[in-house]
Amino acid sequence: MRTLDLALISVFAPLIIAVLLIIVAPLRRAGRAAAALSVGGAFASVFASVALTLARLADNRVPEIFETTWLPEAGKSAATIGLQIDGISAPMLAVVSIVAFCVQVFSLEYMADENDEDYGRYFTWHSLFLFSMQALVVAPNILQLFCAWELVGLCSYLLIGFYYKKPSAARAALKAFWVTKFADLGLLIGLIVQYAAVGTFGWDAETVAKLGALGVVPVAVAALYFLAVMGKSAQFPLHVWLPDAMEGPTPVSALLHAATMVAAGVYLIVRAYPIFQAAPQVMVAMSVIGGVTAVFAAIVAIGQNDIKRVLAYSTCSQLGYMVAALGAGSLFGGYFHLGTHAFFKAMLFLSAGSVIHAVHSNDLSHMGGLSKKMKWTTLTFSVGSLALAGFPGLSGFFSKDQILESLWEGTHRDPLFWIPFLACLATVGITAYYMSRVVFLAFFGKLGEHAHHAHEGGIAMRLPLLILLVPTVIGGLFGGQFLGLLALPEVEFHLTHVTPVGVVALVLAFGGIGLGYVLNMTPAGAGLASATAPVAAFIEYGAVDRFWLGAYNLLMMALSRVFAWLDRYVVDGMLNGIGAGALTAGEWLRRFQTGRATDYVYVVMLGVVGLTIWSQFAALVGGSR
Amino acid sequence: MNVPMLVDFQPLLPDLVLLVGALWLLILDLLMPHGRKRLMAGGAIVTLLAAAAATWLYDPIGTVWGGAYLGTGLAVFLKRLFYVGGAVAVLGARTHVNEAYARRQGEYYLTMLFSILGMSLLTGARDLILLVVAFELMSIPLYVLTAFPRDDKRATEGAVKLYLVGAASSATLLFGLSLLFGLAHDTSILAIATHVQAHPSPLALVGAAMVIGGLGFKIGIFPFHMWVPDAYEGGHTPFIVFLSALPKIAGFTVFIQLLLARNGALATMALAPLLVLSVTTLIAGNFLALRQSNVKRLLAFSGVSHVGFLMLALLTRSELGLGMLLFYGVGYVFTNMGAFLVVHAVKNGGGGDDSIASFDGLVRRNGWLAAAMLAFLLSLAGIPFMVGFWAKLFVFLAVWEAGFYGLVVFGASISVLALFYYLRVVRAMFMNPPANEAVIDVDPVTNTAIVLCLLAVVGIGLYPGPLYDAARVAAVGFIGN
Repeated sequence: MRTLDLALISVFAPLIIAVLLIIVAPLRRAGRAAAALSVGGAFASVFASVALTLARLADNRVPEIFETTWLPEAGKSAATIGLQIDGISAPMLAVVSIVAFCVQVFSLEYMADENDEDYGRYFTWHSLFLFSMQALVVAPNILQLFCAWELVGLCSYLLIGFYYKKPSAARAALKAFWVTKFADLGLLIGLIVQYAAVGTFGWDAETVAKLGALGVVPVAVAALYFLAVMGKSAQFPLHVWLPDAMEGPTPVSALLHAATMVAAGVYLIVRAYPIFQAAPQVMVAMSVIGGVTAVFAAIVAIGQNDIKRVLAYSTCSQLGYMVAALGAGSLFGGYFHLGTHAFFKAMLFLSAGSVIHAVHSNDLSHMGGLSKKMKWTTLTFSVGSLALAGFPGLSGFFSKDQILESLWEGTHRDPLFWIPFLACLATVGITAYYMSRVVFLAFFGKLGEHAHHAHEGGIAMRLPLLILLVPTVIGGLFGGQFLGLLALPEVEFHLTHVTPVGVVALVLAFGGIGLGYVLNMTPAGAGLASATAPVAAFIEYGAVDRFWLGAYNLLMMALSRVFAWLDRYVVDGMLNGIGAGALTAGEWLRRFQTGRATDYVYVVMLGVVGLTIWSQFAALVGGSR
Repeated sequence: MNVPMLVDFQPLLPDLVLLVGALWLLILDLLMPHGRKRLMAGGAIVTLLAAAAATWLYDPIGTVWGGAYLGTGLAVFLKRLFYVGGAVAVLGARTHVNEAYARRQGEYYLTMLFSILGMSLLTGARDLILLVVAFELMSIPLYVLTAFPRDDKRATEGAVKLYLVGAASSATLLFGLSLLFGLAHDTSILAIATHVQAHPSPLALVGAAMVIGGLGFKIGIFPFHMWVPDAYEGGHTPFIVFLSALPKIAGFTVFIQLLLARNGALATMALAPLLVLSVTTLIAGNFLALRQSNVKRLLAFSGVSHVGFLMLALLTRSELGLGMLLFYGVGYVFTNMGAFLVVHAVKNGGGGDDSIASFDGLVRRNGWLAAAMLAFLLSLAGIPFMVGFWAKLFVFLAVWEAGFYGLVVFGASISVLALFYYLRVVRAMFMNPPANEAVIDVDPVTNTAIVLCLLAVVGIGLYPGPLYDAARVAAVGFIGN
């Protein structure tokens, strides 16, 4: 098949299904049939996307751009709409569609308790989301990307708010929409600035050359685009919506908040990389913000007891990695990690979903010892955690190494890169710790109170996990091929390349895992408790429990709490405060609406008199013009 | 001496078609038996479409009445908008009018047609006398139409209010215009603009300020907007569909004629007041909309904020800005009419009292209405793939090119705020449980009107190119004259 046909299938197959399900209500209400169609659409997209990627691997010389005029203007074209298939978009298409397919299959069983209408609605939004995401990926210019970007945000609103009967879910949906929408202002204003400056919405070399000659303009444009990235990809301090978004169904979190939507911000940087490269100041700031996000979110993750919130903060942290690497000039490092992370994080979320499905709780303290009940999920969650922690040989190891290397190289150029470098290095250890903590608390140790009746899900829940396990384990080995797609001749990728930074990271990773074992499994708490048994005998069990809990909190979680507090009350509170202030101002203004006609006439007259006096005053001050 | 021939009136041919059609309907209304009066709506629509067709069949570019009327690309663009928009408004009102005022329905459409005739004349009015006459021809039928439900106390009260405030504002406008006339000794707008440009004087500023204040009432600029929510809430929704959309654009037509003539001489002089008014209008409209519990009041304040965006386009005083104002106008008309039509359909179909709560669970009671309303609200909020997104984007582009960088940032930020209250309605429709499960039925005629609005909103939203081009072409050459 021709490239165009494949690209069209990969983008529009989900749209056709979504439109069909929206228009033909009986089909949607049938539930099962809607789900089957949706999964079929996703599969078509997977097929076409993978074929496109293979074709690019075979021949990656010229990008293929199919576009048509969108905004005709006096005979020429002010903007185009179309599909850009090249080494950057093809693998992203594949990643998005594969993860979406796995998530949809997983949802078949996970969402089976919903009534038919909600079930159909769920899959309708999924198909619509897949289309918007693919349209974003293939966008040949920033205008189309922005449109798809907004559509993605809208689908996210619908999917997070899926459990709309739960007030917290509805609130979280609104919050996510609002925070990202605020950040999207950057993209909107940025593209206006870019168009006003150079007359196109593109990111091609010609446009960037014109932009680069305009002094401060590329810096402004890149900074504005990055604002949108911070919102979408949950970078500090705009990450506040992501943990709350966990109120949505878990498969939605796996798709949107791990692999695809939150990665859209990083993808924007990758796509418009030439523009960012024209603004070195923004690149440095990007790297620093990425590094801060990485370490901040990782620290907060330590203290979370909700399995999904751990993963959410972990996603923030990993996105921070990618942004930091891209800011340090490593297109390959950032983009490669986006790919590997998408697979293993989606798998982690789906595994968490499998656990939640089995124990009917998100709380880690309700789990425990699940490895005896759920072998497959234990395997996938553990391997995913190891990949996330950077265990040698797994996909996360290679991509994380690339990022740390690039940041290390950055420190030679600009001392500011020490911030993201040290932050990301520390994050390696912290990540290893909090993931091992989750693994040990949930899957090992003694059986939790909710875990007795836990059992593995059916084939629809296991199959996606196993599919995602493959790239998680061997994905890193294809770094060379991936590098080839990006056409970066100056970058090298070796599977067996030992560097000092890599060794340090490895030590930190193992240290983190070890610490997680010691503190949660041996457990240090128990050891210390037996040492202080005589004291404990005087106090009731609950008090000892609380004491140890308090000590644990003091030692291990104090920092985490501080950050979490800052997160909730300072960063979050500021945003909430703005909202509350807006409402108060609205109340104050409303008093002027009295409903009496004479008042209105007075106001009209007063307004005119005011305008008159003012205009006279202005004329006096300004002199006769 | 030249005897005016029909051919000399060619630029006014669409208006003549409208006038003849309206008069013909007037006679027909007298002769028609009561049982057949529902055909009057069809007659009105045919008249409007014939007038619209006339803008394509004949070349309406040229001068009439010694320059008092100037047919330009801008005039043609606006005429088409008024005719097509008016036809959709008639279609949307037909079922309600047929039920509520079966015997008087002819008058309803006649009054509407005359109002549209006034708007149509405004599009080319280059002389103060024609401008004022056309302006009143547009306005007075609106008071009549507001009072059309004679037995409804709130509607008559609203009509009296509208008339009182309207009279005050007309007086202000006339006062301002007579000051300008006194300075320039000419009723031609071009002559006035030229004079003001050459001899700026404090008195001219007073005149301009009074014009802005007087017109500000008509289009609902803060602080002259106060009648808007009351009128919308009290009035019958099928009429508000019309009132909320076309007269606003007609008011802007007067603004364009007066303020943008001769490279925006008057607008440049009164730039500071215009700037402050547009910013305060944006702030007030959006913030007041935040706490409304009535959908019609919410849409009224949202309309105020849209006027603020249109004002931003006006401020640019550039051809691009004018073109984008036209684009925004088209988007606003169809989005707003669609939204009010849905409000009407919901209430009429047994869906309660126009409160946001009455939209609870609409998706279960009538999925199609909920989906249409979603599209209109997203368009009002400026979300991509709806016409409202392009309208905002284009206005921002024009404002940026004109150098008002701060205004773009401000306008874009405030449009995010607007999402907050639009989403309240979305949430009610899709997420709240319905008060009762009774299906809301919509008659096919009203439905057709909603479909037409939806086609415009989504169609232009998906492929804005042709309208964008047409709006830019329509604006070419206007500002300089």
